[in-house]
Amino acid sequence: MNAATATAGAGAPSSHERRDALLGVALIAPTVLVFSTVILYPLVSAIYLSLFSIYTPTLGGEWVGVNNYGELLASGRFWNAVGNTVVWTVGTLTLQLVSGVAVALLLNQSIVFRSLARSLILFPYFLSTVVAVLVWRWLFNDLYGILNHVLLMAGMIDMPVNWLGEMPNAMASIILVGAWKYFPFVVIAVLARLQTIPEHLYEAATIDGAGPLERFADITLPQLRDVLVVVVLLRAIWDFKEFDLIYLMTGGGPVNATQTLSLLVYEEAFRLNRMGMASSYAVAMMLVLLGFTLLYLRQTRHPLEEA
Amino acid sequence: MRARWPRAIWTVLAWTIVLAVVFPLIWMIVTSLKPQAELFSIPPTLLPETVTFEHYRRLLTETPFPRYFRNSTILAVTTTLVVIALGTLGAYSLLRFRYRGREALATLVLFTYLMPSVVLIIPLYLLMVSLGLANTIASLVIAYTTFALPYALWLLRSFMAEIPEDIESAALIDGAGRMEAFVDVILPQALPGIVAAALFTFILCWNEYLFALVLVNSDSVRPLTAGTMNMLITAFNIDWSLLMAASVLMSLPLIVFFTFLQGMLTRGFGAGAVKG
Repeated sequence: MNAATATAGAGAPSSHERRDALLGVALIAPTVLVFSTVILYPLVSAIYLSLFSIYTPTLGGEWVGVNNYGELLASGRFWNAVGNTVVWTVGTLTLQLVSGVAVALLLNQSIVFRSLARSLILFPYFLSTVVAVLVWRWLFNDLYGILNHVLLMAGMIDMPVNWLGEMPNAMASIILVGAWKYFPFVVIAVLARLQTIPEHLYEAATIDGAGPLERFADITLPQLRDVLVVVVLLRAIWDFKEFDLIYLMTGGGPVNATQTLSLLVYEEAFRLNRMGMASSYAVAMMLVLLGFTLLYLRQTRHPLEEA
Repeated sequence: MRARWPRAIWTVLAWTIVLAVVFPLIWMIVTSLKPQAELFSIPPTLLPETVTFEHYRRLLTETPFPRYFRNSTILAVTTTLVVIALGTLGAYSLLRFRYRGREALATLVLFTYLMPSVVLIIPLYLLMVSLGLANTIASLVIAYTTFALPYALWLLRSFMAEIPEDIESAALIDGAGRMEAFVDVILPQALPGIVAAALFTFILCWNEYLFALVLVNSDSVRPLTAGTMNMLITAFNIDWSLLMAASVLMSLPLIVFFTFLQGMLTRGFGAGAVKG
């Protein structure tokens, strides 16, 4: 916003301006220092470590060059994890999006106790994933879980379902829990935008004889477009890198059927004790996320304008 | 105002969905209050026939839970204080000063905010081992900074951007120095935003699991998330009502904040990033 004027006026900075810039740098310096040591240095060393073969317990390692990457591309485990990550991300994101928009539209109506309803719906989002997982594993419990009871009583199933121990149930279950936990984010964003759509647009459309569906398609959706693009990008990034929820629900099982990239990195590094290999998986993840982030930046145009 | 009849329908529909969404949480509370025997009754009782606080008592007296709670509090409070102090100065600098590299820095903050912890975990683990910090709360404070600082910076910047620049200019014209203007004008104006950012950061730290799983391995330093999960993993018989009681207690701070943050909720967890 003011960056252009600042550069234009940078021809002959007064001593006052120069002193100000110095103060600005001094204020950001501690942050930059912390950033460099705890974020940038580890990021760079993750790339460096991916060129080694390291045994975790002794931390002894030897240079292997790009061999880890060769193994990565040739290994079934990597592509299995990529596949699972895509299924998980697309599945849970779609559910979050559809239910999020639907619930936002619903909570935008003038219902009784609206603000209470709006607060309650956000609860899953703020809850610790650990709590969410504990509760859902209890709901999913094959012997005493309420879910199997209700479905049995309703006659929808004949015998208790093993929700987390077999496929495709395990993948469906984590997608469902992911949607439950994260759809409130979509609700928050969409609801905030809905409230800024001018009422007269709808009034005009109604006078022109547009029905509710037409009003949704012609007014609401186009107005929501920008916010939805950003929401999809952010949620895609967050779902893509999800670790806690999947690790704690299924541990990647049964037999790696729900093992995503995040879980693979953890397993390589701390179960199979191959830190170098794990780093190469992590770097691969980083590249994908870099792509997402660039898309996000392009969408929001300017990092400093986007408040 | 629309007609009365559709409003009733919308209300019923909306509240059915809201109740379905919060049902797992209601069930968590109900389970934590049921006696062990009632847990396994078929069909399950929707409300406890006898209410007992036995599980809470056992949790607080016979398990390491109070220790975990203490660790989590220290960890989340320390991280929040560090991050908010750094973040407030940093956000002010990014917003109101002009210097080279400022925009690149803002982009970098966003990038690291979106970076997965799993990428950082291996180098951080090695760093803690070499610093001799492995298995301490300090190691977790450092690790939590990696996600909390970018988050707080981003959030604070979006809150502070709303303070009109004129107020500050007026103070500067009146002869106040830049720092005086910051302390006397910006800080009081930004205070609600800073408090909100602090609470959100606290929740984020309170809920963290991965770093706690990898960087510490003894009950004396474990925070709640890793500790409670450990109770589940090491249990001989999984005691669900005990775990539900733990879940309820672990969620208490969130419930308290929730009531405070009502108005801020729309903006906090998106870190202001969703304004389309």
